[in-house]
Amino acid sequence: MRPFSYTAPATVAEAVDVLAASGPGTKILAGGTTLYDLMKLDIEAPTAVVDVHRLTELAAIDTTGPGEFSFGAAARMADVADDPVLRRDFPALAESLAKAASQQLRNMATVGGNLLQRTRCGYFRGGPAFPCNKREPGSGCAAFGGLDRGHAIFGGSDTCVATYPGDWAVALRAFDAVVDVIGPRGERTVAIADLHVEPGDTPQREHTLAGDELIVRIRVPVTSAGRGSTYHKIRDRESYAFALVSVAAGVAFDDQGAVEDCRIALGGVATLPWRCPAAEMVLTGERLTEESALRAGEAAFAGARPGAHNVFKIELGVRTVADALRIAGERAVR
Amino acid sequence: MNAPTRRVDAHDKVTGTVRYGADLTSPNLAHAVFAVSTVGKGRVVNIDTAAAEAVPGVLMVLTRVDASELGSPGFVMGGGYGFQSLQPLLDDRIAYRGQPIALVVADTLIAATEAANLVRADYEVEPIAVGLDAEAAETLVQQEAIPLPFLADIVMGDADAAFAESPVRIEATYDLPQQHQVPMELIGGVVGWRGETLVVHEGTQNAGALRGGLARQLGLDPARIEIISPYTGGGFGQKNSLQPHVGPLALAARRLGRPIKFVMPRTQTFHQASFRPASRHRVRLGADETGRLLAAVHEVDQQTSRHDLFPAIYTEITSRLYGIEHFRGRQRLIRTDVQTPGFMRAPFEHPAAFAFESAVDEVAYALGQDPVALRLANDADVDPVTGQPFSSRHLAECLRRGADMFGWAGRTPEPGSMRGADGTQVGWGVASGAYPASVAPAVARLSAAADGKVTVGVDGHEMGQGIRTAIVRLVSEDLSIAAEDVIVYVGDTRVAPQHLTAGSWGTATALQAVHAALRDLRKRLDVADSDPVDVEAAVAATGQAAVDVEATTVAPGQPPEIIEQSRAGLVAFAGPVYPGFTAFSFIAHFAEVRIEPTTRRIRVPRVVSVVDCGRVASPVTAVSQVRGAVVWGIGGALRERSEVDPRYGGFANATMEEYPIPVNADIGEVEVGFVDEPDPLLNPVGVKGLGEVSMVGVAAAIANAVFHATGRRHRRLPIRIEDVL
Ligand SMILES: Cc1cc2nc3c(=O)[nH]c(=O)nc-3n(C[C@H](O)[C@H](O)[C@H](O)COP(=O)(O)OP(=O)(O)OC[C@H]3O[C@@H](n4cnc5c(N)ncnc54)[C@H](O)[C@@H]3O)c2cc1C
Repeated sequence: MRPFSYTAPATVAEAVDVLAASGPGTKILAGGTTLYDLMKLDIEAPTAVVDVHRLTELAAIDTTGPGEFSFGAAARMADVADDPVLRRDFPALAESLAKAASQQLRNMATVGGNLLQRTRCGYFRGGPAFPCNKREPGSGCAAFGGLDRGHAIFGGSDTCVATYPGDWAVALRAFDAVVDVIGPRGERTVAIADLHVEPGDTPQREHTLAGDELIVRIRVPVTSAGRGSTYHKIRDRESYAFALVSVAAGVAFDDQGAVEDCRIALGGVATLPWRCPAAEMVLTGERLTEESALRAGEAAFAGARPGAHNVFKIELGVRTVADALRIAGERAVR
Repeated sequence: MNAPTRRVDAHDKVTGTVRYGADLTSPNLAHAVFAVSTVGKGRVVNIDTAAAEAVPGVLMVLTRVDASELGSPGFVMGGGYGFQSLQPLLDDRIAYRGQPIALVVADTLIAATEAANLVRADYEVEPIAVGLDAEAAETLVQQEAIPLPFLADIVMGDADAAFAESPVRIEATYDLPQQHQVPMELIGGVVGWRGETLVVHEGTQNAGALRGGLARQLGLDPARIEIISPYTGGGFGQKNSLQPHVGPLALAARRLGRPIKFVMPRTQTFHQASFRPASRHRVRLGADETGRLLAAVHEVDQQTSRHDLFPAIYTEITSRLYGIEHFRGRQRLIRTDVQTPGFMRAPFEHPAAFAFESAVDEVAYALGQDPVALRLANDADVDPVTGQPFSSRHLAECLRRGADMFGWAGRTPEPGSMRGADGTQVGWGVASGAYPASVAPAVARLSAAADGKVTVGVDGHEMGQGIRTAIVRLVSEDLSIAAEDVIVYVGDTRVAPQHLTAGSWGTATALQAVHAALRDLRKRLDVADSDPVDVEAAVAATGQAAVDVEATTVAPGQPPEIIEQSRAGLVAFAGPVYPGFTAFSFIAHFAEVRIEPTTRRIRVPRVVSVVDCGRVASPVTAVSQVRGAVVWGIGGALRERSEVDPRYGGFANATMEEYPIPVNADIGEVEVGFVDEPDPLLNPVGVKGLGEVSMVGVAAAIANAVFHATGRRHRRLPIRIEDVL
């Protein structure tokens, strides 16, 4: 524990002012389920904390459409997961939240904070006893040659193969969500595809937001592939576990019954939410069958670079993609 | 009947009235945190506490204590009291990652935590060996390393020759990983002094060892030590002895003149307390063409620490599960750089039964025989090791009843032959288990008061298994008084020695002593030996305010003096071999697994378990004991493994979210049956142990079911998704 200042602004405008006035050690606090955790592990050590958890302005959930759904950054995971319209029209999004963490955590945690959670890599979280380029740039990476069963097979670099652990961002990635942010330099919109970055030579840098930028809301275009969607999560136990492999899948069919729109994004296997355009192409214009779904799965996992203990994620992943597409297809309006 | 049908403390627990060790508070409480070693082995060459001491509120940073102030507690399995003999802070040696290097005490937990993080140490690092296969691990033959009769190899006949001549031979190696107990209640409590008396509030299964061990460590008169542990929030073997934090806390509390609260962080409980060691089992089974088992060889390598020899007692049950004439056991200990491993629910029996009962299944398939029929045909009628009768043995009944309840007759024998409509592979598996019925010496005090209430103080610890409920049931049934009129004290050295409660002897041991005390009480109250008693009237008739009795009981064949060993806090149990008979509890498990055709998730929709534990002392808590054990078995078969990076040592998944104990969603139906036949020889109440036997064989039943589903034999636990893809 280290001393830090704490402010709870009453409005978003006030929050922006506070952020503008505070220094580089400032952290936004929402549910705290990631931030406090990392502070206790001495990985995050903010000098100032700006609490936006109770800003009702940031907590709105709008699933009236018709063009897009929007979720305030401070909306609780549990509330979004339980939204009846979302569950009907966008099951992948609702399921990605419902299958994350535990009910207690979902009651606290927000959909904005969720996007910026950090890797669960044991060497990152384990503290100074282990080299970790993400925690201590230049110190090395213990995952190479170590326990890498949970690590990424896509998007890694020579410095880091830590998995991006979140589920929600994977589902958002499949459906081209955007994130509205506000900061001292004004407002801007970031595509979810541009929010997270691969580790490259700077694994400590995980996303493209500035420290003084506040996520206001997340917007998702409504699409018929949303209705025919699922978030299929395979893990070591049926609940309260991060994904070994997860797949956000969505399909929509044309009049002929061929796939018109296909969305596939992967979780648990990459250093960031991982969209699979090549796999989507495999199915587009084709009939969705067990065989074509498996081909899409194979395309999704082509080019994977496994380590010592996570080779199985390729085979498992291919099948998870196929299963997800089947579930999505069953839900799609024909 | 007045006997309670539910847990007597259920309401108090659910409403939070129950006080666990660390729930206590007082105005001048100080808080402690340990700084721990960040290397796997070596020497502390320099330790810098300046920054830690500068944290506001820090009262003390203790990096070294003198051996004259604090000795080793000795190892609980070596005539001592500690989970290990190594007492941190006595010298500069680091034996394992996570070993405490400094104790920080502060006004607040926050200050103590912060200061502990600021303790900096320089180490001289040495190479480590943490796995069974590590080059620098040292292998010892147990019977040579620890020449004690009960640890010698069990040998009957000439198993190697009989195996070589057997027409059907199975030979296979089975591997089980390290696991941790992960009880909900963290280790810790409150340690303080009342004048010259040391008072420790801590959840434990062995208040006696805390007292005896602290007396030895601190050079105190045991009469000046009180251990108060009315409730333990789960122990499962991890809290069965003195933990090394208590001694330093006692010293610090004396120096500061303040009581100290300590709650070990979850990750530290993986490194500062015992765990289930890794073990490897080479099993050879020989049979004739009819399925008669002729010979068995069971060789075990088990991990231990460098500083203690945690004994391996795996063949005790495998030599007795069947009537096999030729048996040879061999147990070796592999010294590695870890804290000393220890007992975790069914410590030897769960791994042993996984290996042996998998091998028996392999024999059944090799012969094309039904696995239940093969087991029934090989049942033992006497203890094959001693030739003595069993005090009671209803394993065959467990198998028959279980097969019935499960619907075993509907199984098609061919592996892979049972499938769901979607291609899901269905497998049914069976396995047997056994667990030694041990008994410990115990003291019970009863006080019948003029208001009609009976107070019981007895050896035993309530760790959620329901010992209090079983005692209340016995007393209220015996005297025909209301459950509310029975008040029970356990886990308290002020009322009884508080010998270790473990090995499933707790209930039988406590009930036997209470039963004896009830006989005395009836005499003193001058009432008949069995009729209902009007306690109020009977006490009034004596003209006294209360009638007090004390009874001491021992295991069959134990000399009465054994109670002195228990009073000293030392392990004093006996069994399973007694003069004239051998006593075990038995169980049969039937499991169904379903394996998805595509992503291959293994589900266990149902388990049926039928137990022979003698008389069922408390049906509600007994069923829940078995259910809990089956959950552990499912975890052990499919999930739990403490991950070790051989480069670093320690345990990598040392948190609740990373260590994959099953969640509710992983558990299907668990149906429990009891033979409920009182054991006629072991004790007058007819009770054998239940808590541990319940887990024995679950993992084998599941692995056998996976084989039946897929035709693939898994000899390494846990069986995870990547193993069945
Ligand atoms: C035991 C456990 C299990 C979990 N399992 C899963 C799982 O299976 N799947 C899964 O997806 N997640 C899982 N999580 C992660 C959990 O979902 C996240 O911790 C949570 O969503 C974070 O939200 P929060 O509101 O608590 O964020 P905080 O902890 O408050 O913040 C997290 C980060 O986001 C930043 N931040 C928060 N709000 C904003 C904002 N409006 N603008 C800009 N930055 C912001 C903070 O500065 C911080 O860096 C688990 C967490 C735990 C502790």
